[in-house]
Amino acid sequence: MTIKNTIVTSFIAFYAGTVFAQPVIGRLAPEISLKDINGVTQKLSDSKGKIVLIDFWASWCMPCRRSNKDILPLYNKYKSKGFEIFAVSLDEKPTDWKRAILADKIKWMQVIEEGRWDGSVATTWGIELLPTTFLLDRDGIIIAINPTKGQILSLIKKSAP
Amino acid sequence: MKKNYLILILLLIGTRSISQFNSANLQAAGLTCAMCSKAINKSLEKLAFVEKVTADIKTSSFDIVFKKETMVDFDAIKKAVIDAGFSVAKLKITGIFSSTAIQNEKHIQLNGKTFHFLNITNQILDGEKTLVITDRDFLSAKEFKKYSATTKMTCQQTGKAGSCCIKDGIEKDTRIFHVTI
Repeated sequence: MTIKNTIVTSFIAFYAGTVFAQPVIGRLAPEISLKDINGVTQKLSDSKGKIVLIDFWASWCMPCRRSNKDILPLYNKYKSKGFEIFAVSLDEKPTDWKRAILADKIKWMQVIEEGRWDGSVATTWGIELLPTTFLLDRDGIIIAINPTKGQILSLIKKSAP
Repeated sequence: MKKNYLILILLLIGTRSISQFNSANLQAAGLTCAMCSKAINKSLEKLAFVEKVTADIKTSSFDIVFKKETMVDFDAIKKAVIDAGFSVAKLKITGIFSSTAIQNEKHIQLNGKTFHFLNITNQILDGEKTLVITDRDFLSAKEFKKYSATTKMTCQQTGKAGSCCIKDGIEKDTRIFHVTI
């Protein structure tokens, strides 16, 4: 193999690695098992039967904070109809995380990835940028990556519990 | 007047000591939120002299702690930011100084590097102090232009010693970091 080929091959391998590292639409969501604000382990699979928006975020991520505010009315309106948000924070300082939860009036599930970008959950889910969100149907199948509010609403409306 | 004598005396005895630059604060600019990118976090953490990178919520910037007793390379920080697809909007460096006399438009050796102070009043640095790098690609083009206007020396344009600096006993093409306070 020539040097050029090696370079091209390793580039393709690297590129493929980054693209396919993220969970795929249409597949079952990988399990998430992390600690919440009280140190209690929470599992994504416990939300089965609900429409779940998985939200990777951090307190210092300003676009994430804006979408927290943006999604709050939708959450309050539809949580009784089986809509849940499972937020995974990549904060390094738990105090910042807790302060942001209070400031943004977050009532949905909140867990923390203590390994941050390199943690097993963040790498399994291929997180390269915050915010990254995934929409799961009631069977835990990934329906969309970074869905719009419209996409979330239409899934809630067409899939009554 | 008394102060000027003191500066002169300190310059003569050559008290130019600094223990080390121990931390930095970096503002990066780009199309997306820089702190929200794994690439830039990893790129900075990979630098051999970097101990820890954390996000500062209040200023939307990175706090970088350097490893003790390592040679810090500011150009490598800039390269790490650029390689991750962003640019440096501001790099502030913090170090512990002890009776370090600095003069406007003068070159000084600090921690094994040559620095050129711009837009400052002559003073003596003591304790923890923060400097801002004003070299090209270490701030926005607009800011760079602003600081360039404060000096006639060509080294500000290139970041390297030219004929302007050789008279100060600096070898040609030595990397010179232009800083202000």
